[in-house]
Amino acid sequence: MIISFILIFWSLVQLFPLYWMLTFSLKENAEIFGDNVIGLPHKWLWSNYTTALQSGNMFKYLMNSAIVTGATIVITVIAATAATYALTRMVWKGRKTATSVFMLGITIPINAVILPVFLILSKLDITNSYWALIIPYSAFALSMAIMISASFMQGIPRELEEAACLDGCNIYGIFWNVILPLMRPALATLSIFIFLQAWNELMYAVIFISESKYRTITVGIQELSGSFTTDWGPIGAALVVATFPVLLIYAFFSQRIQGSLVAGAVKG
Amino acid sequence: MLFLLRCTAKAVHRGGSGISHLAFRGEEHHMDKTMKNKTAIILFLLPACILFIGIIIIPIFMSGYYSLLEWDGITASTFVGFDNYIEMFTKKSIGFPGAVKNAFLFAGLSVFIQLPISLGLALALAKGIRGEKIFTAIFFIPVIISTTVIGQLWLKIYNPTYGIVNMALRAVGLDSMATTWLGEEKTALIAVFIPILWQYVGYHMLLMYTGIKSQSTELREAAMIDGANEWQIARHLTIPLLKPVLTVCVIFSITGSLKVFDLIYVLTNGGPAHASEVPATIMIKQLFGRNNYGVGSAIAMFIVFICFFFAILIKKTFRTEVDE
Amino acid sequence: MKKFNNMKRLLSVLLAAGMLTSLAACTGTAKTTEATTKADTAAATTTAAPEATEADETAAQEDITLTMWSIATESDSFNAAYTQAIADYETAHPGITIVHETFENESYKTKIKSAVAANELPDIFYTWGGGFSKSFVESGKVFAIDEYYTDEYKAQLSAAALGNATYDGKLYGVTYTTPISLLFYNKTMFEELGLTAPTTFDELKAVCQTFLDNDITPFGISVKDTWVTAMCHDALTLKSAGPDQVKNVLTKTEGSYNSADFLNADTKFMELVDMGAFIDGATGLSNDEASALFYDGTVPMYITGSWMGGSIMSDAADPTDFDCAPIPVLNDATAKITDFMGGAADTLMVAESSPNKEAAAQAIFEISKSISMYAYLAGSGIPAWKVDYDDSAVNAITAKEAELAGNATSFTLWFDTLMEADDAGEYLALLQELYVGNISPDEFTASMAEQLEG
Repeated sequence: MIISFILIFWSLVQLFPLYWMLTFSLKENAEIFGDNVIGLPHKWLWSNYTTALQSGNMFKYLMNSAIVTGATIVITVIAATAATYALTRMVWKGRKTATSVFMLGITIPINAVILPVFLILSKLDITNSYWALIIPYSAFALSMAIMISASFMQGIPRELEEAACLDGCNIYGIFWNVILPLMRPALATLSIFIFLQAWNELMYAVIFISESKYRTITVGIQELSGSFTTDWGPIGAALVVATFPVLLIYAFFSQRIQGSLVAGAVKG
Repeated sequence: MLFLLRCTAKAVHRGGSGISHLAFRGEEHHMDKTMKNKTAIILFLLPACILFIGIIIIPIFMSGYYSLLEWDGITASTFVGFDNYIEMFTKKSIGFPGAVKNAFLFAGLSVFIQLPISLGLALALAKGIRGEKIFTAIFFIPVIISTTVIGQLWLKIYNPTYGIVNMALRAVGLDSMATTWLGEEKTALIAVFIPILWQYVGYHMLLMYTGIKSQSTELREAAMIDGANEWQIARHLTIPLLKPVLTVCVIFSITGSLKVFDLIYVLTNGGPAHASEVPATIMIKQLFGRNNYGVGSAIAMFIVFICFFFAILIKKTFRTEVDE
Repeated sequence: MKKFNNMKRLLSVLLAAGMLTSLAACTGTAKTTEATTKADTAAATTTAAPEATEADETAAQEDITLTMWSIATESDSFNAAYTQAIADYETAHPGITIVHETFENESYKTKIKSAVAANELPDIFYTWGGGFSKSFVESGKVFAIDEYYTDEYKAQLSAAALGNATYDGKLYGVTYTTPISLLFYNKTMFEELGLTAPTTFDELKAVCQTFLDNDITPFGISVKDTWVTAMCHDALTLKSAGPDQVKNVLTKTEGSYNSADFLNADTKFMELVDMGAFIDGATGLSNDEASALFYDGTVPMYITGSWMGGSIMSDAADPTDFDCAPIPVLNDATAKITDFMGGAADTLMVAESSPNKEAAAQAIFEISKSISMYAYLAGSGIPAWKVDYDDSAVNAITAKEAELAGNATSFTLWFDTLMEADDAGEYLALLQELYVGNISPDEFTASMAEQLEG
C-alpha cells in the first residue's frame, strides 16, 4: 500500500512540469511572474499559440529539427552497428585500444570543441546546411551508440554466425542477414537516446546555422526572447508545440523500448 | 523469436557470448578467416572512424593545442606552455578548484542518492504492480522535457516570494527557513543539484527496471519457495545480478556529473559568487565570455581527462566475468 | 504479436525512407541555393547598370543581395524599426535585396565571435561598440568606412556619437540609438510620501530611508543577471569619478582603479546595500522577475537603461505612474548631473570579406538613419541621428529620455562593454562578490586595479 502511495506521489511530481508548461503557455507575463504562478490561467491566451506559430515560423523549425535528428539517427545507427561488429566480433590487433578510444566520446563536453569543429566545417564549406549539424551530432552520439550496441551484440550467440558461415555466407552476409535483424530491438533504444541528444541541442545549432530556413526548433524557441524583456507565454506555447511530438513518439515506441532495453542494458 | 530470447538468456547466464562449439577444425579455420577479413574490418569501421576522427579526435587535439596558448580566438596567439593549467588552479578569481570540488560532490550525490532512488523505484515497479507500464512511461517524462522548461519551472519553484518551497514553509510556520534558495551562497549549490537529480531519476530507473525484468524468474521463484522475503531477494539475488546495468548507470552518472552544464547555467550560471560553479560553467565563461581560449581549452582538456579516467576506473572495478 | 511487429517494422522503414528522401531533397536544394547566391554575387560584380534611377551615385543598379545579421528578433522592440528601415532602403534602391536574419541576444555574442574567428561573417552584422569589437577590428576582418561618412551624414550624426565605433582613428561602424542609464521611478509612490527625484547621493539616501521607514524596499535589482547590478554601480562610479577619469582608467590609458573617487563610489554603493535599499533575494532574481516587481508597484525605483521606457508602456498597468530622472551625483567636483552612462553601443559593421562591401557600407548609413527614426517614433529608443521629423507622437517617457540625452554633456559606455572581454568578465564577477559581502570595497578596487594593470 505504501508503495502504491509512493509511486502515485512520484508520478505527480514527474508530471508536474508538463502541467506547468501547459498552463504557462496560456498565460501572460503578469500572471506568470506575479499573481498566478501555478494555477490554471485566469485569462486563456490562445493568442500565445498564434504568436508562436506565426511569427515564430515554428513548423519550419520543427521540420528542420526532424530532418536533422532523423538523419543523425540513421547515420549513427549504421556507423555504430558496423563499427561495433568490427570491434566486438571480428579479430584484429589493437581492438581493445580502439574500443577504449571510442569511449572518449562520452567524456567530452560538447561545447568545448565548438570552435575547432566550426573551423573544420567551415573549411569543408558545409556550414549553413543540414550537414553542419548532422555530422557533429552523429559523431558525438557514436560513443554512446557503440557502448549500447556492444552490450547487445555480445548477447548474440556465436553459433548463429557459425551456422551462417557454414551456409556459405561471407562476412557481409553474416552482418546483414544474421546480426542486423537480431539488433532490431536495440535500434529502438539507440534511436531514443540519439534522438534526445540531437533534438534538444542548442549551441551548435545557433553557431553553425545562420539562415533561418535551416534553423532548428531549439534556436527558434530561444529567438522568442527579446533583448531585455521576454514574453514567456509564446515561449511556453512554442515549447508545447516542440515537446508534444516527442511525447507522442515516446508513448508510441515505449513498448518497443522496454522490450529492447531488456537485452540492451544487460551487458555493461 | 522466442528461441532467440532463450539463447540470449542462456548467453547471459553463462556470462559470456558463448564459446565456439565447432566440431571441425576445418570450419574453425574458415570461421577465423572470415572474422579476420581485413577489407571487411576496414569497411565496417570506416564510417565511424571518419566521423570520430574528424569531429572528436582532431578537435580534441586542436583544443589541446589551444590550451597551450594565450589566445582570444580571433587575433594572434602567444605560446605559453602549461601556464594556463597552472593559472587555472591558482588564480583565485577563476574559482576553478571550488568548481571541481562541486563537480565531485555532485557526482557523489548522484551515485549515492539518485541511483538508490532509481533502484528503489525500479525494484518496486518490476515486482509486478498494477499500472506498471504507465508508471514507467510517466517516470521517464522529465528526461524528455527540454532544459529550458525544467530551468524556468524550478526558477519559479525557488522564487523567494511566490515559489512553492517558501510558500509551503510559511504555511507550516517555518518562516525563518524561507530564504533565497538560488541566491544564498550556502544553499545555491544544493538548490541547483536537486532539479538535475530529479530529472534523471527516470533515466536510470528505466535502465535498471528493464535490467531486473530480464533476470530469469526461476531463481526468484526458487528463493521464494525457500522462504526468502522481498528484501532478502532484492539484496542477495536481484541486485548482484544487476551489476552490469549498475556499472553503466554509475559511469553515465559520474561522467554526466563532471560535465554538467545546462541546468546550472539557466538557474544560477555558477553564482552567486561562484557558489554553484562547476567546471563546465567556468569553461564556457572563459571561452565565450572572457575570450580566454587558452584557459577555456585547458579546462576542457581537464574535463576530458578526468571523465576518461573515471570511466576506465569504474569499468575495471566493476569488471564481471564479461570482458569483451 | 506478429502482426503488430510487422506494422511497427513497416512504420519504421517508411519513417526512415521518408527522412532519407527528404534529406536528399534538402541537400540538393541547399546546394543549388548556395550555387545560385554565389552566381548572383559573381554576376553582380561584373554586370553593368541597366536602368537609371533617381540621383544614385553608387553602382546600386546591379542586382546585389546583402545578408544582414542582427539581434532584433520578432519579440525585440527594435524589430519593427529594422523591418521598415530595410523595406525603405530596398524601395529606394531597386536591385538591392537585403536578407535580414535575427538571433537571440546572449547566444548572438558567441555566434558573432565564432563567425569572426572562422571567417564566416555576413555582409552586414550587428555588434556592440567599444571593447567588445576591438579584437574584430584588430584582426582585420572589419571594413573601414571613413570614406562613406559623407558631409551630409556628418551633419546628421555627430562624430561624438560614433566614438565607440572608432578604433585607432578610423571609423568601422554606424549606430542608430544612444541609450542611457536612468533612474526610473514610480511617480505616484513618490508623491504619496511627498518625495521628489533625488539629485545628490545624500538626497538619494534620504529617499531610500523614507521608503524603508514605510516598509517599502526602495530598489528593484537583479544580481543574478549581473549586468543590472553593473548598471547601478557604473552610474554611481561615473557620478563619483567623472567621465574622463572613468574612461582613462577602464581603457588603461591613464590612472588606476585603486583611487579615491572609485573607492568612494564602491563604499557608497555598499552603504545602500547594507541599509537594505535593494530588494531581498536579488541574487536569485532574473532581470525579468526583478523588473516585474517594479512594474507592479512593489518597489518604487529601478536603475537601468532607457529601454525600460518602452517596457513600461507595454508591461505596466498604468504607464503614467512612472517617470525617469538622471542618476544622482556623488562628487560634484568631477561629475555633473548631465553626465550619462550609455551612448552608442549598438553598431552595424561591414565585413572585410564581403564581396559587396562598398554597397554594404553605403547601405548601413541609410538604414541606421531610418532605424533611428522609426525606433524613436515607436518609443523603443533614443535617436542617435538628428530628429528632423515630426516627433510629437512619441510617448512621454521616451520624449523625456531623448531630451535628457540631447542635453547630455558626456556619454560613458557601460563598463562591461567599454572594457575588454576579460576585464569585463572579471568586473562582473567581482561585483557579485562585493554585493554579497565576500569582499570589501577596498578589496574590490584593489582587485580591479590588479586586473586592469595585469
